[in-house]
Amino acid sequence: MAIKVLLVDDEPSFVDTLKRRLTLRKLEVVTAASADEAFAVLDRETLDVVVLDVKMPGTDGLTAIKTIKRHHPLVEVILLSGHANLEASVGGMALGAFDYLLKPVRIDELVYKIEDAHRRKVLQEEKIRALRAAAQTHAGEG
Amino acid sequence: MDGRYQQLAWRMTLTGLAVTLIPLWVTGAAIYLYFASTQEESQRAQLHNLALNRSNAVQLFLAERTSMLEALGHVATLDALTSPGELENVLGILNKRQQSFVDIGIIDANGEHLAYEGPYHLEDRNYGGEDWFEETMLRGVHISDVFLGFRGVPHFVIAVRRDDRTAPWILRATIDSDVFTRLVQSGQVGLTGNAYIVNRAGRFQTAPRFGGEILATAPFDPSIAPPGVNVVFREDEHGRRLMTAFAWIASKDWLLVIDRDSSEPAAPLRQALRLELIALVIASLLVGGAVVYHIRQLVTRLAEEDRSRVATEAQLAHSARLVSLGRMAAGVAHEINNPLAAIGELAGLMEDLIDPAFLASTPHAGLFQDNVRKIQLHVDRTRDITHRMLGFARRMEPRHDTVNVNDVAREALTFVEREAAYRQVELVRNLDPNLPIITSDRAQMQQVFLNLLNNALDAVPEAGRIVVTSRSDEDGVVVTVEDNGCGIPEELHDRIFDPFFTTKGPGEGSGLGLSICHTIMKGLGGSLTFTSSPGEGTVFQVRLPRHQA
Repeated sequence: MAIKVLLVDDEPSFVDTLKRRLTLRKLEVVTAASADEAFAVLDRETLDVVVLDVKMPGTDGLTAIKTIKRHHPLVEVILLSGHANLEASVGGMALGAFDYLLKPVRIDELVYKIEDAHRRKVLQEEKIRALRAAAQTHAGEG
Repeated sequence: MDGRYQQLAWRMTLTGLAVTLIPLWVTGAAIYLYFASTQEESQRAQLHNLALNRSNAVQLFLAERTSMLEALGHVATLDALTSPGELENVLGILNKRQQSFVDIGIIDANGEHLAYEGPYHLEDRNYGGEDWFEETMLRGVHISDVFLGFRGVPHFVIAVRRDDRTAPWILRATIDSDVFTRLVQSGQVGLTGNAYIVNRAGRFQTAPRFGGEILATAPFDPSIAPPGVNVVFREDEHGRRLMTAFAWIASKDWLLVIDRDSSEPAAPLRQALRLELIALVIASLLVGGAVVYHIRQLVTRLAEEDRSRVATEAQLAHSARLVSLGRMAAGVAHEINNPLAAIGELAGLMEDLIDPAFLASTPHAGLFQDNVRKIQLHVDRTRDITHRMLGFARRMEPRHDTVNVNDVAREALTFVEREAAYRQVELVRNLDPNLPIITSDRAQMQQVFLNLLNNALDAVPEAGRIVVTSRSDEDGVVVTVEDNGCGIPEELHDRIFDPFFTTKGPGEGSGLGLSICHTIMKGLGGSLTFTSSPGEGTVFQVRLPRHQA
């Protein structure tokens, strides 16, 4: 099953091109031009990884992570920004971002990161399933 | 010290000396004047007492001599006195204590000598009708003014009348005034003190110290002297101001005069003046010396502080310039990164879509593929630059690793070994094995060392030499990277750490390396400095604190 990725960026030529390239690399990609649009997509579809621009008009990337993590805690977020600043990177990681990448990023590097993020998401889901199973067994015994 | 500070030092010194020395000398002068005025009072009193004392002594002297003659007249009979040899005997007795009687004579009421003893041989002299004789007969006693007698020695005469038996007779004696003169002259004090007696007519009765011979006329009129004993100020014939005591000698209408030059201070005052002057000079030297010394020190320190402040300000201004340039660089990088990312993705997609069918469709397809790859290469190059520019803004919290600086230096050296070997550049490791382990950010330190080594490699000629030295001092660790390359021209020293400043050709260096290294070292609490002499090489020095700030 292909990894489902949401690209959030306000630069259309960038998102569209990147979407096509990632699709060529066997990823399933949806795009959003703003954070609010991204929330709508997330509510609608089940996604694995969000690649989020930090600086966007409207809700910015750091605020967006909080909302995403609150409503979809298992979705992994990779921050992608043209601006390197301490708050964005440290703050983003603290808010639960998987990683922080600088634009322009090599396509291979981005794909690896997405795959890593997906792997972590799968691991988390397995852990949760295991926990649930353990809880049920425990409840059954009790 | 340059002129401005020299001038300041002068002004402060003059003011300091003025405010300390002027009050000192004014106080000194006030004390002296006060002392002098009390001294004048006491001098006046002293002179008054002296005059009184001397005049009493003179009167006593005259009274004694007179009494001696009167006593003689009462005790001895005329017959006895006139008997041969008796008067010689009497003169001997009178002079037993003091050689003041020169001669003695007995004169009858007619002025004839009845007997005479003395050196003048006056036995045949008749005094009848002479003033003194008449006065003695009339008043009973006479004391003459001084005259120059036998051998030019000053004398005066005392005569007393005796009224016994039938007719009065007179005892007359000549007195050597030498003893009497000494009595007066003992009233001379100091260097200019002068004591003498003048008669009513103003003639000297005793030899004055200055101002004339005995019997000469004194240069002032004795009638100016009020009765009794008085101290007055007057001017002498040379215009000097004198403090003079006048004392009338009642028994003989003589005026005792004691002069002293009032401008001549008394001995205690002279001594006080000398002591005070010495004290003032010593105090002035001490105070003046202290003022001069301390003001010199103060101004020197001021100059030093000003100098170091100017240096600090220049450094701060330079740092501020670096920071603002860095911010600008980061801002520019961000603006470039977004379109650059789009370009990269667009070219990447083009490359992705080039397939064998496309390559076969047109003869230019190969060129397209080539160019798309080249576009991505240039995007990569540009990205390297912009990412380094972002390094200014990326003030990543420095990590606190425990670092062996030698290890970091060795690692950095391994990165450049290959190129060095290729260019036959000798790499000399001069690392102190006893370096302390410090707390710092290993990766950032690595970046700095690498940058310095790369720069050194670029600077040295073929078969050059790079020496990496580490050592420790009390503040921490010092690493130097020394090359024997072309050196940095003096005029570029100020700009070496500026972002985008490079001496390399276009496309060879971004001009950011040293600038970022400088920023990193600041962030690590250390410093990056250099010394360079063109043609001989450059030494970059990295200072790392033992414990990161």
